[in-house]
Amino acid sequence: MLVIRRRPGESVLIGGDVEVEVIDIGPTRVKLGITAPKEIVVLRKEVRLTREENLAAARGLAPEKLVELAARFRR
Amino acid sequence: MPQFATKHFGIIEFEDDAGFEFPCGLPGFEQERRFLPIEQPGTKPIVFLQSLTRPELCFMTLPVPVVEPSYQLAVAPEDLRILSLPEDRQPEIGSGVLCLAIISVAEDRPPTANLLAPIVVNLKTRQAAQAIQVESGYSHQHPLVAASGEGACS
Repeated sequence: MLVIRRRPGESVLIGGDVEVEVIDIGPTRVKLGITAPKEIVVLRKEVRLTREENLAAARGLAPEKLVELAARFRR
Repeated sequence: MPQFATKHFGIIEFEDDAGFEFPCGLPGFEQERRFLPIEQPGTKPIVFLQSLTRPELCFMTLPVPVVEPSYQLAVAPEDLRILSLPEDRQPEIGSGVLCLAIISVAEDRPPTANLLAPIVVNLKTRQAAQAIQVESGYSHQHPLVAASGEGACS
């Protein structure tokens, strides 16, 4: 992994078309500004993880496993 | 009363206002806006979320407190807006707000719950969103095995 130190107002260029600028640094969060061509999808990673997880969850209900799983959580 | 033919539950009948409305769909299912919660005696406390447009699409969920009793919601302001909930405070699970974790059951690993992005429902308006938690540290693949020990004692 490439690690670069940047200050607010400074940027990193990725390829010829993508610019990531550090806009602001808070105590726990960094605000980034991303400039990229329309065809490049920019996503928070959590959205992709959730998307993949949703697609996996929708694939099968496996009824035989469900009864056992449900029993485990019954009070 | 509206009816819908589903793959897993056959033909279901439901009250007009029984469905949950997802104004933005769910990640990966952006076009799916209406789901019906279904509970069955043999599989409680599982709550199924059956799509009301795609017969084969059904998620299996568990109420988040069942999976993680100390769960703290951290819903982003944009999701609170979608849910018509006040933006100045975090909603409390139970007081008019339902919180469900989608369960993944795969062949090669134990079942997991997505605690990173639970489904939050405003029960008053029936609006729902899969709300990716802000700075929560919760996993999108929270193993369900840990809870089995507690269940076995009761």
